[in-house]
Amino acid sequence: MQLITANNLGYSINEKRLFHNLTFSLESGCGLHIKGGNASGKSTLIRMLLGLTSPSKGNIEYCKPSLQIAYLGHKNAIKHYLTPMQNLELIFQPSELQNAVTWMHSLELTKVQDEITANLSFGQQKKLALIRILANPSDLIILDEPFVGLDNLSRDLLSKFLQKQLLLGTSLILTSHIDPDLNCSELILSENNNA
Amino acid sequence: MLNLFLSEAFKLRYKLRSWLGPLLILILVLIAFPLSIDISQYDLNKFYFSVIVVALLMISFLATESIFSEDYEDGSLEQLYLKEKDFYKVVFAKILTYVFFIGVPMALIGSIFSIANGISLQEAPKIFIILATSTLILFNVFTFGSALSVNKGSMLGVLVSLPLVLPVIVLLGRAVRTVQYGEDFFEVLTLMLGVGLIVTAIMPIIVSATLKTHLE
Repeated sequence: MQLITANNLGYSINEKRLFHNLTFSLESGCGLHIKGGNASGKSTLIRMLLGLTSPSKGNIEYCKPSLQIAYLGHKNAIKHYLTPMQNLELIFQPSELQNAVTWMHSLELTKVQDEITANLSFGQQKKLALIRILANPSDLIILDEPFVGLDNLSRDLLSKFLQKQLLLGTSLILTSHIDPDLNCSELILSENNNA
Repeated sequence: MLNLFLSEAFKLRYKLRSWLGPLLILILVLIAFPLSIDISQYDLNKFYFSVIVVALLMISFLATESIFSEDYEDGSLEQLYLKEKDFYKVVFAKILTYVFFIGVPMALIGSIFSIANGISLQEAPKIFIILATSTLILFNVFTFGSALSVNKGSMLGVLVSLPLVLPVIVLLGRAVRTVQYGEDFFEVLTLMLGVGLIVTAIMPIIVSATLKTHLE
């Protein structure tokens, strides 16, 4: 079943054309790795798929309106004045919290769970932010550079999780300069801006 | 909806500076003003309410200045949009939480200080209701200002929205006068409540659209 279909997408900003006539689709249980250089429009394309940015041209169709999307972009969406545990309490419902805490153990954040998040390293903050994805059941996972700042152990853990989710039927869209080692189709945004 | 209220309350609970700061500044202003003038030369009761009203305006201004900036900067606003598909409920919950945790205590402090300045205990609840209704309107308008310039430092937008609250100040002054001189209080109160309800219902729509524009 096709989850998302993008038709002739185009986006320009300040007379600069990022991409045009971009057409692709994504099926349930499939992955899409968006590749491209800096400023090629990867993050913009992701924001369009999320409905945060409107395309200059073309349209995006979703198979169902109530699509559950789990997203993590460049911003971690965590509160620096709270502890990791309090952040999880803020993000998750009490019924989902146990699963989130289990992921916190797996990502070796237990020893810092009562420290203020602002005192955590960049990698630890990224891992905390990723729990939003890991412990949140969804139809589609969208990640913008998810491997940046992660150590090898966490990177492997995330790769295995994403691979498992693909097998379970969850779809995946990600951008990454680091090879994710996942079974994904590739969408390359080049300077000519055609996929 | 209840979850949004609880989330906002949870965040405010740990952001002491955001809610305790404005309340302490209000107390400081209300105490410092009479000390800064030679009281014996003036009839303080006559104009102390003006000080309460202006302090309420400035502290509301201060309290709402960063209502969205933190969520905007750390990416929480995007996550809320994806979860709720719209900002209306988010904005509504945020404003009401701020009114409950900052506005209502401000009104309480204002009414306590009004007792110290000649209002009888029986009349104090009226002052409290007037001030609480005013904070509801002020917070709504200043939230719009904060949303206007959320990506450029919210103070600018809040300043721009300042002229919008001047009619509220006029209305508040009129309401206080009715209590002070025993005029028809409920007439003015009904008007204020009406304005408050309309603003509370409409402002989240405008603020939602403003925030969505900023996310793009």
